[in-house]
Parts: sequence; C-alpha cells; structure tokens
Amino acid sequence: MKRIILSAMIMIWTLGLVVTGSTLPAFTAERPSKLVMTAIPDDSAENMREFFGLITQHIENKVGIPTEYVHVANYAASVTALATGQADLAWFGAVTTAQAYIVMGDELEVIAARDIDKEFIGYFIANADAGIPPVNDLKELAELAQDKNWTFTFGSKSSTSSHMMPRSFFTDQSGQNPEEVFRTVAYSGSHDVVLQKVANGEFHIGALGQPPYDRASDELKLKAPIIYTTPKFTNYNFSTRKALGSELIGQIHAALLSLHESPEGQKALGYLKSKQFVDADMSEWMGYVDLIKSGVDIGG
Amino acid sequence: MVIILVLVAGAFTSAEWDFSSLLDSQQRSQAFTRMLAWIKTFSSPDFSPEFLKHSWALTLQTLSAAILGISLAVVLASLLAMGSAQNVMVGEEKARGWMRHFPLRSPAALMCSLCRLTQDILRAVPDFVWAVILVAVIGLGPLTGALALALNITGILAKVYSELWDSVEESSYEQVRILGGGRLATLFYGIAPLAARSVQSFTLMRAECAIRNAAVIGAVGGGGLGADIWYQIQFGAWSKVTTLLLFTLALTLTADLASNFIRRQLRSDPNHPRTVRAKSTFGQLSRAYVGVGFTLLVVCWSVWFMGWGDNAPPSQQSRNYLEPAIKLITSESWQNLKFFERMLNPELDLEAVGLGDREKVRALQAEGKTVDLFAEYRFREFWKPSAWVAWELELRKWFVWRVVKSSSIPLAMAIVGTLMGVLAAMALTYPHSYAFMVESSHFSGESPPWWVRVQRMAQLVVAKGTGLISRGIPDVMWAFLFIAFFGPGLLAGTIAIAIHSMGVLVRVFSESVDNIPYRRFEQSFIGSRLNCFAYTAGAMSWRDWMTYSFFQFESNVRTAVVFGIVGVGGLGFFFTFNFEWFRFERAGTYLLMIIALTIIIDRISRMMNLSRVSC
Repeated sequence: MKRIILSAMIMIWTLGLVVTGSTLPAFTAERPSKLVMTAIPDDSAENMREFFGLITQHIENKVGIPTEYVHVANYAASVTALATGQADLAWFGAVTTAQAYIVMGDELEVIAARDIDKEFIGYFIANADAGIPPVNDLKELAELAQDKNWTFTFGSKSSTSSHMMPRSFFTDQSGQNPEEVFRTVAYSGSHDVVLQKVANGEFHIGALGQPPYDRASDELKLKAPIIYTTPKFTNYNFSTRKALGSELIGQIHAALLSLHESPEGQKALGYLKSKQFVDADMSEWMGYVDLIKSGVDIGG
Repeated sequence: MVIILVLVAGAFTSAEWDFSSLLDSQQRSQAFTRMLAWIKTFSSPDFSPEFLKHSWALTLQTLSAAILGISLAVVLASLLAMGSAQNVMVGEEKARGWMRHFPLRSPAALMCSLCRLTQDILRAVPDFVWAVILVAVIGLGPLTGALALALNITGILAKVYSELWDSVEESSYEQVRILGGGRLATLFYGIAPLAARSVQSFTLMRAECAIRNAAVIGAVGGGGLGADIWYQIQFGAWSKVTTLLLFTLALTLTADLASNFIRRQLRSDPNHPRTVRAKSTFGQLSRAYVGVGFTLLVVCWSVWFMGWGDNAPPSQQSRNYLEPAIKLITSESWQNLKFFERMLNPELDLEAVGLGDREKVRALQAEGKTVDLFAEYRFREFWKPSAWVAWELELRKWFVWRVVKSSSIPLAMAIVGTLMGVLAAMALTYPHSYAFMVESSHFSGESPPWWVRVQRMAQLVVAKGTGLISRGIPDVMWAFLFIAFFGPGLLAGTIAIAIHSMGVLVRVFSESVDNIPYRRFEQSFIGSRLNCFAYTAGAMSWRDWMTYSFFQFESNVRTAVVFGIVGVGGLGFFFTFNFEWFRFERAGTYLLMIIALTIIIDRISRMMNLSRVSC
C-alpha cells in the first residue's frame, strides 16, 4: 500500500522533472512540414487573423510549405513561442525584437521590415473636449499637465510605439516620469484601444503608433486629435530562427519582399499601411537591446 | 470583530484609494453615462447572424477547453490530495500539540508538507502564467490554455479534497484501520466515501467556475468568451458585450443545471421529504449510472470537439488541437522549460541591505542607496510616529520591501470587497430564503392572502435573479466592466469583488438557513418574520456564514492579485509587468510573494479548522 502512495507521489513530483539528457535541440536544416507564424497582438484578433492570414497564404504559395497564423492575446507568449521554437516566424515590434534577442542571442534572425518601419513615428493624442492644445515638445506638455489631474494611457507594456519610445521621449524631454506628472498612468493593451479610450474620454491623453491611428475612422480622429508627433525610430519586423536553415530563410525572405506582387499581399500591405517589405538586419535593432540592457526606467 | 475593524482600517490606510471617480462630479457623470449606455444596450443586443455564429463558436470552444481542463484537474488533484491530506499520507501518529504541525517529524509528514507546497504553488501562480510557460512545452493553441487551466484548478481542488478528507472524524473510519486496512484502504473504504458528497458537490461547483473563468484559453491562441468580452468592453461595443454576456450567462446557467442534474442522480437524501418515494431497485440503481454516463458523455464530447470537431476560431480552418499533446512525452520540448529557469533565482537585492558582494555594497553605499535603518532614529524611539515614517522611507530602498508593500493593494481590495459582499449577502439572504418567503406559514402559523403570497414570491424571484446574475458573470468580467466605468483602480476591483462575493455567498447563506428544521423557528417565533430571521436563523447559521466568508476571502485575495493583471494595480500588476519584460528574476520575487500570501492564508485556515468550502 505504502508503495502505491509513494509511487503516486513520485509520479507527480517527477512530472516536471522528466527532463532527461541535456542536449539542446540539434541544429537541423531539415525542411519543417509546417510553418507557424505568430505576431504581437497590437490590434483586434479578427483584423490580425484576416490580414496576417493573407500573408501566410502568400508565403505558403511561394515557399510551398503549409503556413498557419496563430493569434495570441499576450506579447510575452509570442516571444516565448519563437524563442522556444514553437513558432517559426514572428511579427515583432522593436521592443519584442530586443527581448527576443536578449533571450535567444544570435539564434534570432531579422528577415524583413516594412518600408515605414525604418522611420517610424508615434503620436501623442488628447481628448478633444479636454482642451489640450498641440505642443512643440513634451516638456511643454508636462508643464501644462501640472496640477491638472490628467490621466494618461499607454498601449501594451511591451509595445515600442505605444509605450517604450513615448515614455523615453517624455522622460528625456521633460526630465520627469509620466507617473510623476499624470494622475493615473495605465496600460490599455493595444493601439486601437488607446485611441478608443482617449476618444471617449476615459483618458485625457494617450500614446500610440502611426499606422493604427491612420487607419482609424475620421470620426474617431476628430475626437482624439494629435497633439505631438515623436521623432523617428525603428520599429516592427519579421523575425525568425536561424535553426530553420539559410535556404528556407532565404525563400521566406524572398516571399516577404515580393508581397506587394500578389493580390492578397496587396490587401495585407494596405492594412499594414505600407508599400512593400524591405531588407532588414538585426543590427538595426541593436540600439534597443543596449537601451534595455542599460536598465532604462520602463516603469513597473 | 476588533480584528475585522483593524483590518478594514489597515486596508484604507495602507493602499492609496482614489475616490475621485465617485467624488468629482464630472467624472461621476462620465461613469454614469457609460453605465447608462451599457444598460440601454440590454434592450438591443447585437443579434446579427454573423455575430451569433461567432459567439456560438466561442462558447463551444470555451466549454470544451474548460471541461477538458477540469477533468484532467480532477485526476491530478485526487493524486495530489492523497499526498497532502494528513490522515491519508501520515495516518496514525503519536505526535501531539505543536508537533502535529512540525513537518520534519517523519518522512511521511515531510512528504505531506511538500505536497501541500506543490498545491499552493499550482494555485498561486496565475493561470495565464502557466499558459505562457506551457507555450514553451507544447506550443500555441487551445490545448495549452486548457492545460494551464488544469494546473491551476488542480491546486484548488487538491487543497479542498485534502481538507475535506482531513475533516472527516477519525472515529468514523477507525474500523477500517482496526481491521488491518492500510492507509489506502482507509482512504478508499473509510475516508473517501464519508467525504464523497462534499467532494462531489465542490468538484461540480468548481467546474462551473472553470467554465466561467476560462478566459485564459484566449491568451495563448485559443479564443474563448472571456478574451473576446474584454476586447469588446475596451471598445465600448456594448451591444456586442451584451450578446457575449448573455452567452456567458446561458453557458453558466446550463452548467448550473447540468451539475444539479448530476448531483441529483448521484445523491439521494433519504431525510428530505420530497425524495421519499417508493422506487424499484432498478430505478434506484440506474440513477448513479445515468449521472456517471452523462459526465462521461460530456468529457468525451469535449475531447472529440477539441480533436476532430468543427472547432475553428472564427474565420479559420478547424484542425486537431490535441496533436501537440504528443510533445508532452518527448523530452525535447521539456528542455524548453530552461527558458524560465531564471524565475527560480529571484532577485532579493541583498546588496541594498548590506549583504552579498562587498564591492557592490560599497558602491551603493556611496550613492546612499543602501538601507540604513537607524540612521535618523534609534530603535528605542519606536514610540515616535515620525520614526516609523523615516524607517519606512529607508526600507523602500530595498526591492523586497517594495514587493511586500505591493501586496497591500490586493489585500485591501479583498478585505473591503469581501466585507461589502458579506454584508450585502446577509441582507439579501432574507428575500432569497425559500423558508421565509414561501414556506413561512409552516412555522409562523399565518395564512397569508394570495396577494401577499404573490408579493413574497416576487421578492424571492428578484433576489434569486440578483444572486444568479452577480455570480453568473465571472468576477474578472465584473472587473472589466467597472474598469470601463470608473477607470482602473482599487475602486473598480473592490466593487467587482463585492458583487461577485455577494452572489456566491447569498446562495450558500440561504442554503444554510433553509437547512434549519422549521420547528426551530416555530419555537422562537414571536410574530415577525424579519425578527425571526435576524434572531433565530441568523444566529443559528452565523458560524457557517463566517466559515464561508473566510473561504470567500481567501479566494478573493487570489482574484485581487489577478485583477492587477487586468489593470487594477498592485502585486499582480508588477508581477506581470516584469514577467512580460522577461525580467524573470524580479518576476520571481513577486511570484514568491504571491505564493507566500496563498500559503499564509491557507495555513491560517487549516489551523483554525475552517474546512468548509464555497466557490
């Protein structure tokens, strides 16, 4: 009897420890039977499933391997999936690229970015009824916000254009953290939600990236006008794992760069507010890696 | 009483409460406009065929993943509970007094406390974190969500099972042991049958909760009602929110009815007047088979649906989501857990308190970043309030202290929210009680005219409806709603906890009132039903009520930690922030704090012998 209980216990205890033999997954260049693509969830699931589905279709046609887009509702999940080899291709922002680089090292390969990603801009927007005028720099905004009890929202915590860059521009220019200036500083989750919440007055001010703002309806834009445009920075890209092998990576790279040639690719690019994909290399994102490693204050 | 007052005072002082959304007239009117907008849409939910189809698909996904999760959890939890129940794992022992709580007294006792630790960790780690960790092992998809749910529920069920088994009186199963049965035989023939009824009803109750709270499935690529509601609320798409909420309510209600059905089949109460009916042997025996068969059918359906059914998330191809399970048996994918290894090495920031690496300490000292507790005030000046303020400021330089302090927010939310919920539930119990509303003539001797009876019936229906809605909508969804109304903050979280606790508690409160035999009321009836309720029913069920409330408090603390994740702040917020930034060392420290909270509350409840359970 004792032995049965004991073995049951041992079973549970070893459930997490059955990790035997500590060889890392071998570096194989075998062609996988399926490609899994994921993306950071910076827009609604329906939109992303539709348009990223078009991109996977294009890749599937060009490369000849069934490709599937899996939508996740969490930034960390997408990085984890690529870093642990559960996804093969990921649409990352600059911050998530840097995070992935920090955990994956040279295993990470950036293969393509949109033309607009090399000169990306973000916006600070304000609720139209709050009477906040456009400002020349964020120091001015911080001074305006003195004793006003304004509320502020970022997008997702790991977002580049709706958190990290707006935050660092704000601290650099005003010398203060947003938390010291605004009554509440919240993280709404994604760009479109920031716009929505500022437009309906839930927050006075918000920060978000350019394309989500540009594709919004005019009615929304009227309710949440831009008060400040950030300087340019590098942003999104498609990342993959070196383990896929240089041949396959080359094919995916070619497929992405020819995205504008197919009808479904055109449609997806229309959604991404871009003309075409261009070459990209990890070195262009190394600045972010250094920034994060330097222990920059990211709140929290 | 004094303890409760102190706790409430502590809750209000230790965390920063922001009531401006209630006090500031402009914000108040905004919040009410949003609430009105939401209430208005109840008359016009989005019933377009497309959206109905979408919601239906989500409902099926949620249901199948939740059922899969809970059936796995039941199996795992029974195994784990065998280890963590003292009377099963340790059995008979001579230890008395404090020795009974000392884990190193025997190998079995050590095993027992290790199992308890495992179940505490399983329970304390939020389910979305399990989901992200599991992504590393089995990849993206609804199965990952279901497994994450299973791990979390295993922790909860194992705790409850072991407590229920431990609470069985030793004298009632002694015979099995005396006749030579080992510890397993004692469990199977002595303890388990005696605790079976509570185990079964709690499992079913927990299954309902799992179905309601299965939002985590969406976090890792599965879809599901919860994730979608959160998304639509943020957009103020109230008509869609209403439709989705109606689907959630319908699902909860169905789960409620189904679990009642199973319960009725498996349990017959010979003392209940309504069950005393002559039945053939076949009729009596077949009921258990019907109950078990129905359960098996539901489980089989969910496995089939996940694997081979039409299970696509909206606008995608359906495929076999069970396939990745194969990765669980290959060691290669377990390797990926190394990714999270750094979490096991939490940052304790020892340099700040002058321990660890000498040079770093000196560098920090030079910058004035180390804790120098008695720099300004000596220890013997503890009676000066300003000394405490200065000490606190010094301590704040230490990361671990900030972590400990951040737990004040979920605790404050849980304390105030539970208290409000308990008070509201007590008030609602009177109209919610079948005994006082419908069958009061049995003990009061009155024979009310029909219109009084109708009025009382109406009260009952309204009270039941209120209870049903407030517990049928998951607490996290209440939080979503109130965050949308009042903005993120303690207030939104507290109200959400209060409303949900009220719904859960009013059911068990009035159950305990309705279980009191009517002749007890008859003896003390002095002409007023309300008086009789307050002085007789209330007084008699008071102890039950308090036990249930304490349990609700424990689960509310965990809920409040989760609220941090959805934007209320405090411990949960900082944990997810660091987790999502892959600062696993820091996340590890916060996680330790969450686990510590769970363990402290759990051990207190075990010491106080509060082994009653609610959902």
